[in-house]
Amino acid sequence: MNRFVFGLVVLGLAQAQDVRQIVAESQKRSQSKSEQYEGTIEVFGSSNKVSLKHWEFERIGSFGVSKSILRFTAPAEVKGVALLIVNHPDRSSDQWMWTPALERDRHIALQDRSTRFFGTDFSFEDLEERDVNQFDYKLLGEELVDGQQCWKIESKPKEAKSSQYTSAVLFIRKDIYVGIQIESYAKDKLVRRIRYSDIQKLDDIWTARTIEVYDANRKSRTVLKLEKLKYNVPMKDENFTLEALRRG
Amino acid sequence: MILLKLISWPYIRKHLLRWMLTIAGIVLGVAVFLGMHTANQSVLYAFRQTVDRIAGSTQLQVSASETGFDESVLERVQSVPEVRAAAPVIEASVNTGLKGQGNILILGVDMTGDRNLRDYELESGEAGIVDDPLVFLAQPDSIIVTDTFARQNQLGIGSKVPMSTMEGEKLFTVRGIMKSSGLSSAFGGNLAIMDIYATQKVFGRGRRFDRIDLTVKDGARVEDVKKKIEGMLGPSFQVESPSARGGQFESISHVYALTANITSAFALFIGMFLIYNTFQISVTQRRSEIGILRALGATRGQIRTLFMGESVLAGLIGSTLGVLLGIGIARLMLGYIGSLLGEVFGIAEKAKEISTNPALILFAIVLGVITSVVAAFIPARNAARVDPVQALQKGKYQQMSAGENRVRRITAFVIAILGVACLVFRQSHGLVYAGDALTLLAALLLTPTVAQLVVQALRPLLRWVRPVEGTLAADSLLQAPRRTSGAVAALMLSLALVVALGGMTRASYGSILNWLSVALNPDLFISTSESLTTRGFRFPESMGPQLSGVSGVADVQGVRIARIQVRGMQTIFVAADIAALSRRATLPPTAGNTAEMYRLASQGKAVLISDNYALLRGVKLGDVLDIASPRGVLHLPVAGVVVDYSDQQGSILLDRSVYKRYWDDSTVNLFRVFLTPGASETDVKRRILEALGNQRRLFVLTNREVRQYIMRLTDQWFGITYVQIAVAVLVAVLGIVNTLTVSITDRRRELGVLQAVGGLRNQIRRTIWLEALTIGLVGLILGLALGALQLYFGLRITGEDLAGLRLNYEYPYEISLMLLPVILLAAFLSAIGPAESAVHGSLVEALEYE
Repeated sequence: MNRFVFGLVVLGLAQAQDVRQIVAESQKRSQSKSEQYEGTIEVFGSSNKVSLKHWEFERIGSFGVSKSILRFTAPAEVKGVALLIVNHPDRSSDQWMWTPALERDRHIALQDRSTRFFGTDFSFEDLEERDVNQFDYKLLGEELVDGQQCWKIESKPKEAKSSQYTSAVLFIRKDIYVGIQIESYAKDKLVRRIRYSDIQKLDDIWTARTIEVYDANRKSRTVLKLEKLKYNVPMKDENFTLEALRRG
Repeated sequence: MILLKLISWPYIRKHLLRWMLTIAGIVLGVAVFLGMHTANQSVLYAFRQTVDRIAGSTQLQVSASETGFDESVLERVQSVPEVRAAAPVIEASVNTGLKGQGNILILGVDMTGDRNLRDYELESGEAGIVDDPLVFLAQPDSIIVTDTFARQNQLGIGSKVPMSTMEGEKLFTVRGIMKSSGLSSAFGGNLAIMDIYATQKVFGRGRRFDRIDLTVKDGARVEDVKKKIEGMLGPSFQVESPSARGGQFESISHVYALTANITSAFALFIGMFLIYNTFQISVTQRRSEIGILRALGATRGQIRTLFMGESVLAGLIGSTLGVLLGIGIARLMLGYIGSLLGEVFGIAEKAKEISTNPALILFAIVLGVITSVVAAFIPARNAARVDPVQALQKGKYQQMSAGENRVRRITAFVIAILGVACLVFRQSHGLVYAGDALTLLAALLLTPTVAQLVVQALRPLLRWVRPVEGTLAADSLLQAPRRTSGAVAALMLSLALVVALGGMTRASYGSILNWLSVALNPDLFISTSESLTTRGFRFPESMGPQLSGVSGVADVQGVRIARIQVRGMQTIFVAADIAALSRRATLPPTAGNTAEMYRLASQGKAVLISDNYALLRGVKLGDVLDIASPRGVLHLPVAGVVVDYSDQQGSILLDRSVYKRYWDDSTVNLFRVFLTPGASETDVKRRILEALGNQRRLFVLTNREVRQYIMRLTDQWFGITYVQIAVAVLVAVLGIVNTLTVSITDRRRELGVLQAVGGLRNQIRRTIWLEALTIGLVGLILGLALGALQLYFGLRITGEDLAGLRLNYEYPYEISLMLLPVILLAAFLSAIGPAESAVHGSLVEALEYE
C-alpha cells in the first residue's frame, strides 16, 4: 500500500551513488506479489471538522504492472463504493469507480486525476503506483527529517507522463531506504506534503503504517492508518477486473 | 431655444390637454415597444444568465441538439490533447412538489471532474460530508441546493425535497448548500446539483448525456479546438461557446419579437398621425403668430426649426413617459411571457425581475423622437411657407387646394397599382410586405377624398336625424378635410388592424381545430409530463409492450419528439411508426401522393414534412434533406407535405426505426394509446396508472385533455394578439378624442359665432356629438374595408413568414359588428368633454379667438 499511496514512491539504496539507482533500489526492496490491509482514513477539515471512513485494500502485482481494488466499508452511506486502479509501466493508470446504489461504474478521466480523492486530501493521482522509469531524478543533498538522515532527491515527470505536479522532492532514509516524505509542487508552489511514519518491518519489507497528507491550498490534512497489513497473500487476477468491481 | 421658450411654451401651456393627447400616441407606441421587448428580454436575459452561470469557466459546449448522445463521446472529447477538462452535463427542469416553488432546474454533473469547470462554493453542513463527493456520489438521492432555495423552503443539510422523477415522486436529501454566487443564482436560484449518473437514472435518460462542457489548455486557441472536435464528432454535434447557446433561444422566440415590433410600430404609426394632425392644426391656428414672426424678420428656416423643436420636445416627453409606462407593462407581462416561452418554445426559465436594457431604452426614446419629428416635418414645412401678408389677415384659413387633392389622388392611384403589381408578381416575401405597405399608403392618401365622399353620402342621413345640427356637423367635416381625414385615417388604421388580427386569429383557430380533429385521434396519451412540450423525461421503449398488455388497450404507438439541427435551424423531429400512424390517422397531404408517401416514409426511405415547415423553410416535395445524425448524415427526400402543427416552426416526420438506428436512442416521449371498441377511457386510464404508475412517472391524458391543453397553448399565444387588439382600439379611441379636442379648439371662433347668432347650447352640443359620431362611422366604414385588405396580407405574412399556417380567408363579421357600437360609443364619450368645453367657454374670447 505504501507504494500505492506514495504515488511518487521512493525507497532508498544505501550504497548507490547514482540517484536513479537509489530510487530503483528503493522500489525493488519494497516489491511484493500482493498486499492487503484495512485502512482508516480521517480527514481534518480547515474548520476542524473530522470525518472518518474505512476501506479494505487489495493489490496484486507490483509497481508498473499492479492492479488494486479499494472498497469502502464505513460509514454506511458510502459502504460498497469501490475503486479499481490498473497501473501501466509506460503511462498513467486507468481508474474506475463503482457506486452500488446506482449499479454504475464510471471511468475517472485522466484530466480529473488532480481532483481530490473523495473528499480526502489525496488526489486521484496520488493513488497511482508509478514506476521509477517514469521520472527523472536529481540529488539535491542530504537532510535530517524526524531525526533521520535522508537523501533529498528531486523528481520530475518525463514528457510522456501526465501529472498535475511539475516536480516533487523525495526524502529517503539512508539507513533503511524508505521514503518518509514527499513534497509535491506545481510551478514551484507546494501543493501537497505526504509524511510516512510508524515504520515497521513486515515480511521483510519496511512499511509505513501511518501516512499523513497535508493540502497546502486547503490547509487541511488527512491521516491514513494501515491495519491488518499483509504481503504476498494468494490472490487471483480475475478479482481485479471491471466485472469483479461490479460484483462487489 | 429662445423662440421655443417665448413662442412655443405659452402655446403648449395654453393647450396642455391637447398637447398631452397628441403625445399619447408616442407614449403608447414607446410603452408597447419597450414593455413587450423588455419582458421578452428579461426572460431571455435570465436564460442567458442561467447558461453563463451554469457554464462557469466553460469555453466550449458539445451538444447534439435535444437528442443527447452516448456516454462514449465523453472519452473521445477528453482524448483531444488540447482539452484541459471536459465534464458531462444533463439539465432537466422538474416539479419540486414544494408549495409555491414550481419547477427547479436539475443540473446533473460528474462531481469528480466538474470542479475543474464550476465552483460550487458550498457553505454549510459538515464539511467532511457535504464537501465530500463520495457521499454525494454514493447516495443517488443526494442534491445540493442554492442558499436562496434553501432559505425560501426552510431547508438545511439532511432536509428532504420531494421531486417528480421517472420512478415516481421521490424524496431527495439536501447534502450541500451553495453560497449566493454565480452558479447558485442561475434559474432564479431554483437550481439543484445532482450526480450525473443518478440524473440519468431518475430522469430515464439511459446512458446518454445532454452536453459536454470543456475548457482548453493554456496556449490552445478555442476556435482551433472547436474545429478539431467538430471534425472528430461530425455534423450531428454542435460545438459552441455558452453564449452562442443562449442566443439559440432568441432565434426560436423571434416570432414573438416580431409580433412585439409590429404592435409597437403600429402604435407609433398611429401616434405619428396624431402628431401630424395636431401640428397641422397648430400651424393653421398660429398662422398669425407665424406671420408676425416672419414680418419681424424671422427666416423660413427659423420657423421650421421652431416647429421641429416642438416636435423633438413632444417626442422626448412622450418617449420618457412611454419608457416609464413600458417598464410597468414589462412588469405586468413578465409572468405571461415566461410562461409563453416555456410552454410554446420550451425555454424553461423564470425571470423574477425585469432587466432594463439601456440600449433598448435609448432606442425606444430615439424611436419616439424620430416618429414625432417625421410626423411634424410636413406641418413645419408648411409653417415655413406661410405668407406673412396672408397670415395677418384674420379669418382666412388655409384650405386644401383642389390641385393638391388631385395630385394626392393620382399618387394614391399609382401606388395602389404598384401594390397590386407586387401581389400579382410576388416572387419573394419582401414583395408581400411591399404590397402591404403600398396598399396602406394608397389608402392613407385616398383617405381625404374617400372620407369626403362618405361624409357627403351621410349628410342626408345626418340632416334627417337632426336637420340643423346634422347639417352643421356634416358641413363642418366637409369644410375641414385635412382635420377630418387625419382623425379618420388614424381610426381607419386602428380598425383595419383589429379586423386583420381578428380574422387571422379566427382562421388560425379554425386550422388548428381541423388538424386536431384529424391528427389527434388516440383515446389516451401517456406522457412524461403534464406539459406536452417538456421533453426532459423519457420512457424506455419496453413500456410499450407493458401498455399493450393492459386490458382495454388495442394499439400503442411510441413517439419520440426531439429538436434536431437541420439546415442550421433547430427543428422538431417526430419519430413514430409511420405505418401504424397512417393506419390510425392519415394526415391530409398538401403535396404528395398519400399512399406512396406513407409507404416510402414507413420504409425509412423518405421523410414527411409539415406544411408550416415547407412554407417557412421553402422546402418542396422531392427536395432532399441532409440530416446529420451521430451515425452519419442522412440524405432523405421529402415524400409528402402534411398538415401538422406539432410545432410553430414546423416539424419533420420520420420513421422511428430510422431514428433508433441513427441516433442510438430507443426512448420515447409519448405513447399514443387506442382502446378496444367499448372500453372505457376512465377504466383503462385507471388500469394503466395501477399497473405502471408506481414504477415510474407518467401522466395519462385523455384525448379531451390534450385538446384542451393545445387550445390553452393556442390561447396563450394569441394573448399577444389580444394585446395588439387592445392597443389598436385604445389608439382608435385616442384618435377620436384627440381630433375632437383639437377640432373644438380650432373652431372656437366658428362655434362662438354660432352662439352669437342665436345657436342654442344644446344645438352646439348635438352638433359636436354628431360630428364625433360621423367621424367614428366614417372611420369604421373605411377601417372595415381596409381591414378586409389587411387581413389578406396578414394571412399571407402569417402563412409564409411567421407561423407557416395555410389559412383560409374568412372576413370576421362578428368582430366588425362588435366594433360598431364600441366605436360609436367611444366617439360619443370622446365628444362629451369637448362639447361641454365649447358651450361653457366665454363667447367674447371665442369670437376673439384665432
